Amino acid sequence: MITGYANNSRGVGVRSLQLILPSVVCSTHLSKKVAEEVGAITFSHQHGCGIIGPDVAGVNEFFVALAGHPNVQSTLVLGLGCETIQGNELTDSIAVKFPETRYVVIQESAGMTGALELSVEAARELHVDAPHAPLEHLVIGVEGNPAADLLDSFADLVAKAGHTLVISNDFKEPSRNFAKLVREKAHVIASFPDANQPPTGLPLIPVVTIANTQSPLHQALIDDFDCAIGTSAAQVLEKLLAVANGEASKAEAKKIGNIVVPRMVRSV
Amino acid sequence: MSTSTPSLLTGFPRKNGKWGFRNYILILPLHNALNQLAEEVRVNHPAQSVITSVAHDWSGEIDSDWDRIHRVFSGFAVNPNVGATIVIGVGSATEEEIVEAARAKREMPIAYLTLRDSGGFDNLRQRLMESVSEVFPLVASIKRESAPWSAIVLGLECGGSDAYSGITANPALGVASDKFVELGGTSILAETMEILGAEHLLAARAKTPEVGQAIIDVVARYERSITYEGIDIRGAQPSRGNIEGGLTTLEEKSLGAAKKAGNAPFTGVLDYAYVPTEPGLYFMDTPGHDIEQLTGFAAADVNITVFTTGRGTPTGSAVIPTIKAATNTEMATALPDLIDLNAGTIADGTETLAEVGARIFNEIIEVANGKLTAAEKGGHREFNLSRLYGSTQ
Repeated sequence: MITGYANNSRGVGVRSLQLILPSVVCSTHLSKKVAEEVGAITFSHQHGCGIIGPDVAGVNEFFVALAGHPNVQSTLVLGLGCETIQGNELTDSIAVKFPETRYVVIQESAGMTGALELSVEAARELHVDAPHAPLEHLVIGVEGNPAADLLDSFADLVAKAGHTLVISNDFKEPSRNFAKLVREKAHVIASFPDANQPPTGLPLIPVVTIANTQSPLHQALIDDFDCAIGTSAAQVLEKLLAVANGEASKAEAKKIGNIVVPRMVRSV
Repeated sequence: MSTSTPSLLTGFPRKNGKWGFRNYILILPLHNALNQLAEEVRVNHPAQSVITSVAHDWSGEIDSDWDRIHRVFSGFAVNPNVGATIVIGVGSATEEEIVEAARAKREMPIAYLTLRDSGGFDNLRQRLMESVSEVFPLVASIKRESAPWSAIVLGLECGGSDAYSGITANPALGVASDKFVELGGTSILAETMEILGAEHLLAARAKTPEVGQAIIDVVARYERSITYEGIDIRGAQPSRGNIEGGLTTLEEKSLGAAKKAGNAPFTGVLDYAYVPTEPGLYFMDTPGHDIEQLTGFAAADVNITVFTTGRGTPTGSAVIPTIKAATNTEMATALPDLIDLNAGTIADGTETLAEVGARIFNEIIEVANGKLTAAEKGGHREFNLSRLYGSTQ
């Protein structure tokens, strides 16, 4: 049994994170300042404006998925004002499910200084000390391509323990594969990076990284991985459960990795 | 004229003949896993006031946009406003190719540190701290000198446009741009979407028929790349923010946007992030996306930018001082810490176009000489990799 946090209607998460969500690249710098000030998570991105076609709905839906993740307790949307993804509409579509949502817009806050003050105040008001809650069934994400026998025995163990497994391996890069695991609401992730990729995580979901001992790069970076191949499926699961219970993974402790937003079409 | 007119400009001379108006140590991560490490060193090193860094989404894999990504990183690394660059990477042949391209572009200190060689994130952080300390005295020894007008490579940008843009800030910036071009400087208009519908007027100002045709072709190519996606660009633009600002059609937005380039003849057309080869007025094929444009400018040796805005925007570049010119007094008053200069006085009737043009010209010189812009004071360092093929394919 995992002890997690009751993150309101998002369910029980393994963390209780406040998300500062910039609706456009123009508010990412402010988001970073706010997140540092109040101890929340955020991420830099280049989206929200100059997007067309499927990306308008796609980026919006991804932002909503981030805000609805069970590891999130509350969301502060920060907008500029004139962007394609309108922050007020994004806020409304999040708030309809999760009332712990607020919105600050730079162009209506007397500028950056004003917006920073309003945002910090809003984030502090939004923050809740989420109560602990039991989490019987985890959603465990697997990123990358572990050896077939390891994955098989891992899947068996996960199934026996009553947890759910979600696999994402469309891309070589962990940061791109994480998007699917965000949408699938994975509580924790076991990442098996490609031999040429370093261990990496993302601010929203704790990531346990497993080194491929055949990779010279992974060998050189072995101290930055949580586990190595050769570690049994049972040990990987044990590590994931410890991290789900609050232990910081290596990528989490070192704040390695960003949230990468999928895009279909060029910017205009 | 360019050599005989005494210049009020000062800058940092570079060995390739270019001039910088800033003198940064740039930390350039080539993998998104290193974004945080780059920033940690930037804010924790004692020399932090001269260090700049960027963050991005790329993770070192070669895809359809490789040429563009390669050109942007290698060009950005050697922007004239940078005195020394420290590239940090995972340790791969792909990264080496970018570093080699940068070294071929400009003779300057370019270090390349990797996770693989350092044996982990903590050691790389330590090495990066040391590397900054090592290069700092060398960068600090480069002093400002009197610079010729040809030192100016001015980027023209607009974002969050409104109905005032085409009658206040944009034509006033055009006055300043014309003056720099006349004095022997370089000026670059960009944002292909924002000349759509006005391209024939710009083509008529081309120095040669070939340049005129290139302007027409670049717009046609742009429209094809959007229609290929099955999207009607005229339905997506003007943006909602533009419409709320009073703009009605893409053509109206374009006619106003093109005013930033004044009335000078066009010397050439540049593909995204390509460096102009001689002084004059250019058009560069960039997205209208503010930061993709700024990043393309930076990779093309642009060393100062004026960014006109109707709705107000805070963004800036990690390497180019970006002057914000407001198109209307109401916004300039409401968002003072975003704006460097108000061109709304033209619509108020308190200043003429020529007067505001002269004010912008002078502001460019002051900022080039070291005055900090609002975006610099705010610590803005936005950076985007521009992709033609999205990121999911």
